Amino acid sequence: MRTTARSRVLALALLALLALPSLAAAQGKEIVLKWPCIWVGKDSKAPAIAEIVEAFNAANAGKVRVEIEPQPDYNAYEQKVRTALMAGQAPGDIFTLKLNASTKDFYSNKLLMDFSKDLTGAWRASFDAGALAQSTIDKKLKTLPFETAVLPIWYNSAALKAAGVSSVPSTMAEFWPAMDKIKASGIAPMSQMSGDTNAWTSMIWFSHFAVSFGGPDIWAKPFTDKAFVESAKLMKRIFEGYTTPDAVGAGAGVSGGHFLAGRTALFSNGPWYAGRADLRATPFFPSIVIARAPAPGPTKNFMISRLQANVAAGETKDKARRAAIVQFLRFLTSEENVRKLAQSSGAMFAIDSGYVPIDPLQKQFYDIAAASKVTANDLEAALGAEATLEFAQQLGALALGKVTAEEFCALVEKKIDR
Amino acid sequence: MRKDAMRETMTTGRAAARLAMWAFLGFFLLVSLLPLAWLLVNSLKTNLELEAAPFALPARPSLANYATALATADLPRLFANSVLVAACAVALNLAVASLASFALARESFRGREALHTALTAGVLVPLIAFMVPYFTLMTRAGLYDKLAALVLVYAAINIPVSVFLVSSFMRTVPKELEEAAIIDGCGFAGRFWKVVLPLSRSGLVTAGTFCFIYAWNEFLMAMLLTSSLSARTIQLGIRFFTSQFVTDYTGMFAAIVLSIAPTVLAYAFLHDKIVAGLTAGAVKG
Repeated sequence: MRTTARSRVLALALLALLALPSLAAAQGKEIVLKWPCIWVGKDSKAPAIAEIVEAFNAANAGKVRVEIEPQPDYNAYEQKVRTALMAGQAPGDIFTLKLNASTKDFYSNKLLMDFSKDLTGAWRASFDAGALAQSTIDKKLKTLPFETAVLPIWYNSAALKAAGVSSVPSTMAEFWPAMDKIKASGIAPMSQMSGDTNAWTSMIWFSHFAVSFGGPDIWAKPFTDKAFVESAKLMKRIFEGYTTPDAVGAGAGVSGGHFLAGRTALFSNGPWYAGRADLRATPFFPSIVIARAPAPGPTKNFMISRLQANVAAGETKDKARRAAIVQFLRFLTSEENVRKLAQSSGAMFAIDSGYVPIDPLQKQFYDIAAASKVTANDLEAALGAEATLEFAQQLGALALGKVTAEEFCALVEKKIDR
Repeated sequence: MRKDAMRETMTTGRAAARLAMWAFLGFFLLVSLLPLAWLLVNSLKTNLELEAAPFALPARPSLANYATALATADLPRLFANSVLVAACAVALNLAVASLASFALARESFRGREALHTALTAGVLVPLIAFMVPYFTLMTRAGLYDKLAALVLVYAAINIPVSVFLVSSFMRTVPKELEEAAIIDGCGFAGRFWKVVLPLSRSGLVTAGTFCFIYAWNEFLMAMLLTSSLSARTIQLGIRFFTSQFVTDYTGMFAAIVLSIAPTVLAYAFLHDKIVAGLTAGAVKG
């Protein structure tokens, strides 16, 4: 009996001795966090993100290290996130996604970390309350709102003046005659596109029209609603007479290229476009005016906005790893780092960093966001990727007269997963 | 007199036909070379020049885009990875496809045609259908972010095409040659190595070329199955010039020129051997 007890004690001691080095190693082992990151290469946020990660790694040397896995192609990156989640794996320890109707499904996935218990106190207070509410589904906060955007219209006021248009048109009554004058001056009035997966610049115009006709809650209504049909009719008119001949099928590069080359006077995009060196090199750069689209419906003084990128993390049972992820996200979303990102890239964020832009063009974005009484999502943010892809594909058919506005809306409605 | 007139008409007709032929060939030469020339010219311009006048010559040709391409995307390393992946994928693909094709083309067994149809029908399956299975397979095998994952996937994806091509060639090898080899003491392996495989070189070269081109140009699987520069290929390097909203087109064009230059040069020096390989066995003596 005594022998058995002694041998048990000895065995336990031996086990403890064997386990000690591995425990010590585990305690001292550096935690490596993988971040498949879209802000790399030529992205305007790439330098600041690299700097932030480097600073974090230096401050936590030997304990936690964040490794950026470059994901330069955004569409392929989205595909990778979806594929990984479908295969039952998180695409990384940290990753980003556009929170929209399609990606909200990821919330039901147990692979994503829930931040609701971590985001408290001053950290929580630094986030925009509206953005946090949008990112909270069934009381779970599985993504942190990070980059936001307003999506106004860009006006080349030098081209407007050259065409005899003295100010930015704010009503439809002013809009069409102004577009006719620009057309008569020898350039296409607007950059439009039906290509890519979301017909980006045209989708922004459509969103402005739809919200003006139907109010900020329009996206909850069926796509066959009169507001959408009327918006589609306006898009058809624009494509038929007020844009470049290559707009049907054109991608964002072509659409932006026409504006940069002075071949169009009106363009639509988010604040990140302001950071482009080639935009700053254009002779009309100082004359760019950021404003709303003219409101064809009863809703005015609103702005189209969206959560552009939310940060997510892979769920883990390892407490040390979890703590490391939260530690990095606190660092990434700190006022100082958000300020750095905003200043260098021109992008806007869901975190109050106290950043006041000095750059005149960037300032116009902040001013228009502050001056807008109401904000409403754009089509993609509200209805998801599949409906937006159908919108893009059918927009070309609408522009070419192959479908009517009513048929166009009915086709998009079929793709909306409600 | 009449003969002279006829001769003159014939000469004029022949000249017109020749002119039409040259015009036809010239047109296709233009269609083939214009995109490459356009790519090269625009890689020497700035983005602003490209956007303002896409078909004009550069005001001041600059190699700055090439310097950017080399610095931004670590192209030499990605190029080496691409060569390694493509070469290994071709070798593995041909090894598997030639053995499978030998059995399917030269052996008789029950279900042979059904197996052949099932294997080659893989050509019709869209790549996207393989994404989740391959991702799961490679991550669970511990091959995620390894060049070996790409080698295996590229070799596997091309097996249907390779089996289709190689087995077609193997079927044309006269049975008598194999029978003679059997009389000389060749077994299963001997017939494969010494008779059928050497006579199917043309099919192997064609299948290998298809597999190489696929492995060289493939992007989606490379993006899905790798994450670090050490395991990435040239196609991902080219995408470093695009971001969510901004594309550095001229930088990307420079990267494309750099990525295709070695293969074009290799073809220029080796084209006689490649063509000889493609046509070998076309005429049997």
